[in-house]
Amino acid sequence: MTDPNAADTLVVHRAVVRTPTTVLVDVRDITVRAGRPLTIVGESGSGKSVLAHALMGTLPPELAAEGSMSIGRSRFDLAERAGRRSLWGRQVALLPQEPALALDPTMRVRDQVAEGAPGWRPRETAALKRADDRLERLGLEGAGRAFPHTLSGGMAQRVAYAAATIGGADILLVDEPSKGLDRESLDRLAVMLAAHVERGGLLVTITHDLGLARRLGGDVVVMQDAAVVESGPAEEVLTRPVHPYAKRLLAAEPSKWSAPWTRDNLRADEAAEPLVTAHRVSKAYTGKPLFQDLSVEIRPRERWAVVGPSGVGKTTLGNALLRLTDIDAGWVRHSGTTRGGRIQKLYQDPGLAFPRRVPLESSVRDVMRRHRVDERHVRSLLDEMGLPFAILRRRPGQVSGGELQRIAIARAMLPRPVVLFADEATSRLDPVSQATTMDLLMRQVTGDGCALLLVTHDLDLAEAVGARQIRLGADEEASL
Amino acid sequence: MTSPLLATAADTATGGRRRPLARRTAIAGLGVLVAFALVGPLVLADPAAQDLDRYLQGPTLLEPLGRDEYGRSVVARVAHATRLSLLLASACVATALLLGTAAGIASAWFGGWVDAVLRAVSEAFVALPALLVVLLVSALASGGSLWALYLGLALAQWVEYFRVVRARSALVMGSAAVEASRLLELGPGHIVRRHLLPDLRPVLVTLASLGMVTSILAMSTLGFVKVGLQPPRAELGLMITEAFPFYDVAPWLSIAPIAVLFVLTICFLTLRDSEETA
Amino acid sequence: MTSRRLRLAGVLARRGAQGVGVAVVVSVLCFLLVLRLPGDAAYRIAAGRYGYDLVDQEAAAAVRAELGLDRSAWHRLGDWLIDLAQLDFGTSLVTSRPVAEEVGYYLLGTLQLAAVALAFAVVIGAGAGVLAARRPSGPVDRLTTAWVASVRAVPPFLLGLLLVVVFSAQLELLPAVGHGTPASLVLPAATLGLGLSGLFARVTRDAVVEVRSSEYVQFARTKGLAERWVLLRHVVRNAAVLVVPYLGVQAVVLIEGVVVVESLFSWQGLGHALVHAVFWRDVPVLQATALVLALLIVAVNTAVDLVVLWLDPRPRGSGVSA
Repeated sequence: MTDPNAADTLVVHRAVVRTPTTVLVDVRDITVRAGRPLTIVGESGSGKSVLAHALMGTLPPELAAEGSMSIGRSRFDLAERAGRRSLWGRQVALLPQEPALALDPTMRVRDQVAEGAPGWRPRETAALKRADDRLERLGLEGAGRAFPHTLSGGMAQRVAYAAATIGGADILLVDEPSKGLDRESLDRLAVMLAAHVERGGLLVTITHDLGLARRLGGDVVVMQDAAVVESGPAEEVLTRPVHPYAKRLLAAEPSKWSAPWTRDNLRADEAAEPLVTAHRVSKAYTGKPLFQDLSVEIRPRERWAVVGPSGVGKTTLGNALLRLTDIDAGWVRHSGTTRGGRIQKLYQDPGLAFPRRVPLESSVRDVMRRHRVDERHVRSLLDEMGLPFAILRRRPGQVSGGELQRIAIARAMLPRPVVLFADEATSRLDPVSQATTMDLLMRQVTGDGCALLLVTHDLDLAEAVGARQIRLGADEEASL
Repeated sequence: MTSPLLATAADTATGGRRRPLARRTAIAGLGVLVAFALVGPLVLADPAAQDLDRYLQGPTLLEPLGRDEYGRSVVARVAHATRLSLLLASACVATALLLGTAAGIASAWFGGWVDAVLRAVSEAFVALPALLVVLLVSALASGGSLWALYLGLALAQWVEYFRVVRARSALVMGSAAVEASRLLELGPGHIVRRHLLPDLRPVLVTLASLGMVTSILAMSTLGFVKVGLQPPRAELGLMITEAFPFYDVAPWLSIAPIAVLFVLTICFLTLRDSEETA
Repeated sequence: MTSRRLRLAGVLARRGAQGVGVAVVVSVLCFLLVLRLPGDAAYRIAAGRYGYDLVDQEAAAAVRAELGLDRSAWHRLGDWLIDLAQLDFGTSLVTSRPVAEEVGYYLLGTLQLAAVALAFAVVIGAGAGVLAARRPSGPVDRLTTAWVASVRAVPPFLLGLLLVVVFSAQLELLPAVGHGTPASLVLPAATLGLGLSGLFARVTRDAVVEVRSSEYVQFARTKGLAERWVLLRHVVRNAAVLVVPYLGVQAVVLIEGVVVVESLFSWQGLGHALVHAVFWRDVPVLQATALVLALLIVAVNTAVDLVVLWLDPRPRGSGVSA
């Protein structure tokens, strides 16, 4: 490239973002070079996404940014919002967090990609051809005429990538790209991002997925509480971290878990009567089969996992096994021991699993009354969860997601369940609280001798729990 | 909708302090009007007593709103009219609310043919403007009857409650929270007490405030087109109509009922808005 | 796109059923009205037809026979609904002219008034809404909020009276009553349009604010699209998806307003005819006008559904969980 404006470095001299009451980001001296990706990792709320928006100039008006950055030889004031608009799409591009929400639901995909092309004019065929071209190279032949709601999560992300990069920007900011993606889509994503770097582009990736950080290589920055706590080459930071938080973050990866319950996974007694028996069950949704002729028997103490990408019907299968949803064919039977509320479920969003307008205490007391549990038991259970009893005076919206999920675990354990269905119960938590929550959950399950049915998109998690797996939807990408 | 990361930040930034004040003002305003409507008719002069000698007499200390074309006390008439509006509107709203809420919950809870029948009936009523229903019902009665007005307004409004309650209850009944309660076998009492009612309450308050406005305005409108209540009854719409020919010689005649109507609706609307943002 | 065709059929079926339901409710209410007609109703109808001075017992008896007050109620309900199914509305009890003919004339008047009022409301309301959305909680936004509240608190008849006082009685610019001339349309249409414009402004403002802060609009900007194109290509269409359904809700308000405003300004439309029919107990005209007004609402809603179908490719209420 001979463009005099070509940017081969991005330097953040200082970036501070604050609300009237708190500081969300305060970092200095971060340098990104062409050909060497930079990945920012850290827990949710550590400010990493806010940093990306501060660099882009897309913070919501309530947030005030200050500091400066340089692209090549041009310097930009972060407090100045308007100055960077001319860079968008041409020099700096942003791949947003939820690609499905970033696509206009009322416009066909190819028009949305085409309008990002330099010199685009409405109804101009050259830009449309370029859009088709790019979509084809990303393995999306024929998707151009589709509307976004017909795309899978992985496809929507590739469309968003095509739209973001068609303008020819050298600097690509990627915000939490791995949310809800299955392994195959994750692989494609990593290849896509690596290709951008190979073409001489600059890449800044924000993620909580350490696996992705490892694959991208280059440099890694670890953020906690608005600040950078550690940075350096990926191979160093991700293998021999120095800062205590970075260490905890690494240990939180499911593949590194070493709690006792990951080892002594008692093989279930094959002779025992199954608690849940599903016989040749099938279900289709709008003509597309989710599962067919599936037979499962869940025996006491067994651990089962339903795995697969998002949107293939994992939860539907779990609900079918709990008889919470109708099935098209086959039957599901529950044994006598499951009667009296002894099959329980944990939800992906615990905030939706409690009546939202009453204090937690009234919901929990209703359970205590119904299942004759005394308050001491509840107190000790909450104590094991690391929660004070007083937290129940609040409403569901007033406690954090991690705390609420722990309260949900405690509530589910009150009727002494024999089967517990955990539906993506930790997927919304950041890695460190996912590890803690999973540990608490598994201790309860193993302690009480309860069977576990896990629904997850994270294969590592399923393996760490040592569960028998039911895989769904291997070839969903093929159907459009 | 902002993205989740920015939403937390945005939450702290908004949230003005203006609402509680507006709400308190509205409640105070309604309190004054209710007191006026309840106490006024007891202590003030007979609203029907004519005194043709005092034709269109201007405001005095004894008669702060003056007298109308028959020499009747305007302040007494306004008090009676306000009481009539508030009582009748409350009755209509209460009836429509109970009927609509019960039907809405039944529809969401039982589904099946109960839902199908109730929905078919409501679909037909939705396309009927309240005014049309009231016109038809008041045509049924021999004219100017309070019953016709009450029945028509209640009949026209229950659909609103039914539709909102049904949609909302269906959401609640299908929610993870209710599913969890069912798995915990907490029973229907728990679902109504902890899930449905707390969730419906704010919507019902909103709808009821709006329903009060609709009823009060509809009554006065009917009075205006001369198919609602008949003279000589003191009613806000009738009073406005009757005062219209004298708007330049005796403006106090029109100002009082218009002000009451305006303040009533503004207060109920403010109450509705503050409930929505709370 | 067969799914689109299916949804089209669904919309038409649903609205068709609604139309039939409305017709049944209206005509049963009208029938009850006839059943309950008080003893002197025939006399009153006859008076409406011939004038109070000329009416006598004979004329009243003729009217009573015409209404068939001697036959059984069920028999008459059957006849009533059969007549309706054949679109036979009978003749006016007051003017003795075929109701269909009268209603056609009044419908034209109402459509004129409603169309002008709606255009007025959309231009003023949407304009104010878009301006208010440019700076949420800015001065224009606050002004719009105050406007919305005060327009909502003033019933149409009062608004109409105020306009008459100002423009007709004081400034003597426009006629207060009358029908047929463009000048006589201004005040009724303005009354109706002003009343509707407040709600429009509010909905448009909220929709534009929501769409402008959406992630797809933000993404369109960071793709490098100029703001003008972001507005034209993304904001307008998506805001319309939110605003247009509201037109359906507004249809009820519009029709209510029509009834009042036509009576106030003596505009020759369905509402005017309806109020007269109620007053004179002219049941055939009453039934026909009420029915046509209600069906107008169904028609507006059908149009709204079709426009939404065209604007928004997404199916309603779908979504399978993970």
